[in-house]
Amino acid sequence: MLFAGIDLGSRTIKIVLIDGNGKDIVSSGAVDQGIKQSERADELFEKVLFYTGASRADVGKIVATGYGRNAISWADTTVTEITCQARGTRQGHPDARTIVDIGGQDSKVISLDKNGAVRDFVMNDRCASGTGRFIEIVAQRLERGIDEVGFMAARAVGASIISSMCAVFAESEIVGLLAAGEPPENIIAGVEKSIAKRVASMAGRKVEEPVIFTGGVALVPGMKEALAEAFESAITVAERPRLTAALGAALLAAGRSEIYAKNIK
Amino acid sequence: MGSCDSTAVQESPVAYFRRQVNNCFEYAGDGKAAGAKIVGIMCEYTPREIIMAAGGIPVCLCGGSREMIEPAETVLPANLCPLIKSTFGYSLLKKNPFLEMADLVVAETTCDGKKKMYELLSRERPMYILELPQKSDDADSFDRWVHELDKFRKELETRFKTDITSEKLKEAIRVMNRERKLKRELSALMKEDDPPLTGRDLLDMKSLISGMPEDMVQYEKALVALKGREPDATSGSRVRVLLTGVPLPHGAERVIDIIENNGGLVVCQENCTGLKPLLEDVENGSTDPIISIAEKYYHLPCSVMMNNTRRIDHLKELAREYRAECVIELIWQDCITYDVESGLVKKMAEEELDIPYLRIGTDYSPSDTGRIAVRVEALFETVKGR
Ligand code: SF4
Ligand code: SF4
Repeated sequence: MLFAGIDLGSRTIKIVLIDGNGKDIVSSGAVDQGIKQSERADELFEKVLFYTGASRADVGKIVATGYGRNAISWADTTVTEITCQARGTRQGHPDARTIVDIGGQDSKVISLDKNGAVRDFVMNDRCASGTGRFIEIVAQRLERGIDEVGFMAARAVGASIISSMCAVFAESEIVGLLAAGEPPENIIAGVEKSIAKRVASMAGRKVEEPVIFTGGVALVPGMKEALAEAFESAITVAERPRLTAALGAALLAAGRSEIYAKNIK
Repeated sequence: MGSCDSTAVQESPVAYFRRQVNNCFEYAGDGKAAGAKIVGIMCEYTPREIIMAAGGIPVCLCGGSREMIEPAETVLPANLCPLIKSTFGYSLLKKNPFLEMADLVVAETTCDGKKKMYELLSRERPMYILELPQKSDDADSFDRWVHELDKFRKELETRFKTDITSEKLKEAIRVMNRERKLKRELSALMKEDDPPLTGRDLLDMKSLISGMPEDMVQYEKALVALKGREPDATSGSRVRVLLTGVPLPHGAERVIDIIENNGGLVVCQENCTGLKPLLEDVENGSTDPIISIAEKYYHLPCSVMMNNTRRIDHLKELAREYRAECVIELIWQDCITYDVESGLVKKMAEEELDIPYLRIGTDYSPSDTGRIAVRVEALFETVKGR
């Protein structure tokens, strides 16, 4: 029997299929979010299933999570990305106490208790400056690809100081820096630092270790180091950081005795 | 999920209160025509009894409309709490009929934002400001408050050309105590396992005008009707929430709706539109009713007081009485006093009550509704997973 977790994030859709016994990932996939969310998710699901040779009838339960979680009519139930993120992260990092998740349009810091249950969490509420969106804005401004900018930051000799608290205002600040001859590498490093600082200030006090870094932005070179500095903690990037929420959803689908099993129909 | 049980209630007790703005408008209009004075108030520290004893009708002017924010920001800075801005916006646009009717507006020195807004308001409206001392457990501060209320009594006597006798004060105290008692009893229905109404219903069962006779009749009717009502099948499975923090004036009920549309049931509201002003009555029968009135109001545990330990004590008691499974605190954006205090509330919830706490900071704009919903839902998942 297979179990599926589907994470309908603000930018991408991710699906993870696990084997109910071993709880190992048997297949996974990601696709950019389109206008027809449900259709794209449907296509992706078919694709992910295809690799396993299984059919829909072999899938026991499907849990949807993420912003678009209510858009999928064929999911058995929905669970928030916070609970899923916690569950998925714990799989690879059972001792995790803090999860820093930075995605395309939102970021969150989740603290877990000793048993791995969600104790508290904060999310950025109304601003893009602590999210991957900020990196995108800068990449566009510098006319570089999103993959490229991280590697550029690694070459920076110093980080520019970006003081604007808002990603939109920071953009004009960056224009000014470029005009003043600041190397783009330093600007990217500055942006990474600024994102890390925003997320750390959102988290408030000192967070408990181990701190696990998830979300698409965890894959951007330089971010881990920027976060470590801002949080004054060691940071571990999760295994497959983009898939942790989808994995958590799949695990919740599989585990009847798990945290949220009561709500599964 | 959702507030599926409100339809059944609509036909009965809550229906009257859903028309409450109109009910109040008629009452105030009739009262004014008959010579009564309309007195606008904006805070739970305002001693209604003294106004009523002076033949006044106390009407709440707190703004809950987001349409009023933008106009207000043409005069006020944007980083003020929405309640202050909305209230002021109504005045600027002359859109609050009760304010337009008001013979006097009474306000207190509470938070900085309100004080400075009142200063501007007093240029346009007849106003009287009570100085509220803020050392909650200091005898001299209390004496000062008694003195302020004495002055207020004299001011109203001169202004409205009337005598505020002890008899009139006692009658007003009796009416207000009765109103508070009825509302307390309604709130207490939420202690049940399957409460017969939602937190939103309860929030709606209030009035802009204190001491309206028809309200009493309706509260009593509601109590009878609700007590005999079959419990809603879903209410028992919802997460019991203690909502605390800032008040939710008429029009600004968004957060309670988010909570109740995502699997929660607000069983207790420790705020100025909930239980906070109802917890204590005015002692009737003392030799000096002004002192008794002063006591009740001075005990109100608002975050503008220092120290405000009374609030934490109340919260602890209420959480236990109403068997709350989590605490959600609403803080209007830029409300400094409640925001600072939120750290203490969180600590109390987590360490002393051992239940999760969630702070929601927002204003009147609906742009973050989806995000708040996710946080609330995740909180409920945590509660259920415990
Ligand atoms: S919260 Fe404080 S300032 Fe606001 S109405 Fe209540 S007592 Fe007055
Ligand atoms: S919510 Fe806070 S800032 Fe707003 S009026 Fe009340 S005490 Fe003042």
